[in-house]
Amino acid sequence: MSSRKKILGKLKSARQPFVDIPTREEYLPAFKTLPTDDLLTSFVQKATALACQVAVYDTPEAAIQHVLKLIGNQKQVAAWDFEHIPLAGLEEALVHAKIERVEPQQLGVEIGITGVDVALAASGSLVLKSGQGQGRQVSLLPYTHIAILEKSKIVRDLETWLRNERTDLDALREISKINIISGPSRTADIAMTLVMGAHGPAQLHITVI
Amino acid sequence: MQIESNNFIPISEISVKNEQMIDAVRKGTNSAHTNRTKAMYIDGFEYGEALRQQAAEAKRRAIRQLPELLERAEANMQANGIEVLWAVDRAEAQQLVRNIAREHAVKRVAKSKSMLSEELAINDMLQAENIEVVETDLGEFIIQLAAEPPSHIIAPVIHKSKEAVRDLFMDTLGMETTDDAQEMTFFARQHLREVFLSADMGISGGNFLIAETGTICLVTNEGNARMVTTLPKVHVALIGIEKVVENLADYATLTQLIARSAAGQPIAVYTHMINGPKRDDDVDGPEKVYVILVDNGRSNIYPTDYAEVLACIRCGACLNGCPVYRSTGGHAYGWVYSGPIGAVVTPLLNGLENARPLPHASTLCGTCKSVCPVDIDLPRMLLDLRRDLVEAGHTQFLWDVGIKGWAMTHRSPQLYALAGKAVRLGLRVTGDKLPGALSGWTQYREFPGFAPKSFHELWRERETGKDNE
Repeated sequence: MSSRKKILGKLKSARQPFVDIPTREEYLPAFKTLPTDDLLTSFVQKATALACQVAVYDTPEAAIQHVLKLIGNQKQVAAWDFEHIPLAGLEEALVHAKIERVEPQQLGVEIGITGVDVALAASGSLVLKSGQGQGRQVSLLPYTHIAILEKSKIVRDLETWLRNERTDLDALREISKINIISGPSRTADIAMTLVMGAHGPAQLHITVI
Repeated sequence: MQIESNNFIPISEISVKNEQMIDAVRKGTNSAHTNRTKAMYIDGFEYGEALRQQAAEAKRRAIRQLPELLERAEANMQANGIEVLWAVDRAEAQQLVRNIAREHAVKRVAKSKSMLSEELAINDMLQAENIEVVETDLGEFIIQLAAEPPSHIIAPVIHKSKEAVRDLFMDTLGMETTDDAQEMTFFARQHLREVFLSADMGISGGNFLIAETGTICLVTNEGNARMVTTLPKVHVALIGIEKVVENLADYATLTQLIARSAAGQPIAVYTHMINGPKRDDDVDGPEKVYVILVDNGRSNIYPTDYAEVLACIRCGACLNGCPVYRSTGGHAYGWVYSGPIGAVVTPLLNGLENARPLPHASTLCGTCKSVCPVDIDLPRMLLDLRRDLVEAGHTQFLWDVGIKGWAMTHRSPQLYALAGKAVRLGLRVTGDKLPGALSGWTQYREFPGFAPKSFHELWRERETGKDNE
């Protein structure tokens, strides 16, 4: 008998525990309240509290200037394909500044630029889906992660986002990996002292347009 | 990991005297316990308790339908491109991992934190195959260097001071002198970066497995699990059969509560959902993803009154509140899991005879149940295990005699009165400290004083007084 049959057989032949637990109709969201009525303002507050550095711009030009300032003297950056980064003119601006787009594993690359698929206001989180033109390593290996977020992509919370995805579960499952990022990487393993930048990026800049 | 739980008492007698270690454990657990309280009740006490109730129901509903949910999860994972394997026990799990490693000519493994992998002694097996295994969770990395087992479910080096870690890095890795935790972390980051980039296989655990979609879910703060599940060409996830949950809504509650309970964070820094290997047009990701569903004794617990313990999501909150754990540290418990949850699952997974002292390693204060995000009734199970110990004949002679004597005197009014008089007399001799074999009980306490007359005597006097009126 296969192990699978053995294990399932044992479980199925047992008397079912917890028969009285009801199915749930209404789920309480993990965050009962948001800091404000406005999703953008709430998102900015929450992300900032997580040690993200958040900046909001009305025009792509202003946002591009900000990103170039963040890049500073670096001559190489890792990035998603530009069609997946919602900042028109970014690619041209980088070329103009003689900043080269390279592979994230390249030695010395300190900056990774991505877009954001969905943002969660209640927890200040960014949802990044892996896929065509959206590599996982860009937001993982470099010391600094710059995430370009369109205002319209902000939803209330994790529960809301997952409820939206339920309308097409097949599409969700097609995505090999989804990362929900809430702040820069951190650890408190050494004597419970909080340190930023364990393995993932130590700095997370969110540029909202 | 070799089980040494029967040595709980002698080991804890040594550990309680290790001031530096206990100081570190106290500080760490205080901090974690306080942070948990703040995070769980950010929207008020009632709401936090309602969320706990929601999470408790979610896990119990999943346990009720465990075999069906496992089948559903398997079918969905397979449709997603994940290869699903089943392991009855440690030997089989090791065999499966060994086969995968051989098939892919693996020379170096990068591991993210998995308590299940400690249960299964995966590292030992890989090392015997001459495959290098590197733990990448910073705490696990440190204890790997120190060749020690973890002493806490969430914070494996809670028992080490900063100075101890500094010395370890300097001795084994040639780090330059520094007392700064930031610098030490950065040093480890650079060292492990090279490991991540060169590993052929990544091994992770699984915090949750969503049946509805066949999704493997992980939570970390460091980013090491992201590395381990993205960079190597093969990813193996070891997941206990009890980790399956029904749907996305249940998952949303549980993943946010585990972060609050374990680390006092509203949500983990990295919450990952893995559906499968690299898709054709993906930029990166592993080429092959395996999930090994592991039983290792869980199906034996399932049909018993202890099934509730399968709801555990491994947050460590019970450890942080436990007065016993905070006095002894984790190593005294002698196995992978320590604290209140360890005291229950260790005998259940390894046999009562291999963990006899553990059900007694509790003051029954109830903190563990009140902080558990899924409301597991650990005190009830600890009491039941004590009864099981007696029924299995694992008792001590003196204790048996004492309890039987107590029962005898409390069944008979005459014996009760006699015993009361005897104790009153005896206390005049011993004072408030008990003698001999009982002296341990009053080492840090005073025996309570007895009233000069017992209630029965006073009542009798009052009644005869009334009769005489």
